[in-house]
Amino acid sequence: MQDVNVLVVFCSRTGTTEKLALAAAVGAVQARANIRLRWLPEAADDGTMEGVPGWKENRERMEKEYIAPRAVDAEWAHAIIIGAHGAPPELKAYLGWLDALRSEGKLDSKVGTAFIAVPSGDEPGAVENARLEGRRVAEAARTHNAAGAEV
Amino acid sequence: MITIRRSQERGHADHGWLNTYHTFSFASYYDPAHMGFRALRVLNDDRVAAGRGFGAHAHRDMEILTYVLEGSLVHKDSMGEKRTFGPNTVQAMSAGTGVVHSEFNASETEPVHFLQIWIEPAVQETEPSYQQIPFDPGEKLGRLRLLAAPKAAANGQAAAIHQDAYVYAGVLGPGEILKQTLNAGRHAWVQVARGDLSVNGQALAEGDGAAISAESEVSLAGAGPQGSEFLLFDLT
Repeated sequence: MQDVNVLVVFCSRTGTTEKLALAAAVGAVQARANIRLRWLPEAADDGTMEGVPGWKENRERMEKEYIAPRAVDAEWAHAIIIGAHGAPPELKAYLGWLDALRSEGKLDSKVGTAFIAVPSGDEPGAVENARLEGRRVAEAARTHNAAGAEV
Repeated sequence: MITIRRSQERGHADHGWLNTYHTFSFASYYDPAHMGFRALRVLNDDRVAAGRGFGAHAHRDMEILTYVLEGSLVHKDSMGEKRTFGPNTVQAMSAGTGVVHSEFNASETEPVHFLQIWIEPAVQETEPSYQQIPFDPGEKLGRLRLLAAPKAAANGQAAAIHQDAYVYAGVLGPGEILKQTLNAGRHAWVQVARGDLSVNGQALAEGDGAAISAESEVSLAGAGPQGSEFLLFDLT
């Protein structure tokens, strides 16, 4: 079976979107894809992060557990899944950066990106939906690759 | 027949935060002559610096055992487990259809030393699971403490794995002897975690391993000034 690489990039301040990103990654793995998980570092200043209990600790933890997405990750991926709640500045910056990569032709033949719309809380079914989305994207990437290989 | 795999012949990578020895091919170490032994696919001897670890990554269709020798690890996975464990505990993750997990040194000041073992499952696409089973260290002194086995044999006291494989830990003092029957058609791997060990008359030091086939018995004796702690695998 042909290798399929799925990049999961997410923003997460409270850990809720992180859970969904993990679920999406699991879905992709279930579809036999290779995965990379990348966290977009918080753009918010320390004052903001200290304003709500847990935010700063979460940031410190995620800084330790994840690396930020790199150009090689996007180039490696056949499909990119992005998870975020709303549109924080770090996400806008990342999308702009992806756009620049695309203009250089480095995202050609990608399956395109899926977006997980994240509810504000732990909505029932959100984790399961994220898993299914990860699976669907990986399967779409495989089909797309196979179609490309036949040309 | 016994074939020794010397510590210094193993694959080695020192990333600063991670100092790792690979008994079998793993990551950037690839040697087609050392791809595993029977269902035992990976045996890594890892030292991870304080506060560091392996970020979120995926596994599927693999039985992954971790045995800490010194320090402690914190494990987190997509099944929602977040657990810390240290020595005298077997941790087992059955990856099955797929899991994403991270593993970090639980200490911000001390390194952690552990063995990580991958055993190929006999069946694929199983439901992922996580097990963590602590035991009294006295249970491995002068005898074998079962760490992992098929479910019926594990009986809740050891990690249940989807393979006809039995993994034991043992500690033998200098001159202390232990004999384990190896049934017809079965194979054994012995890995020295620390100290010196004699295996069927062959001298093994820390980090050495031995593949044993077509023998009716595995004879183990603690050697050197300290004796040894070791793992024994009984494989089909």
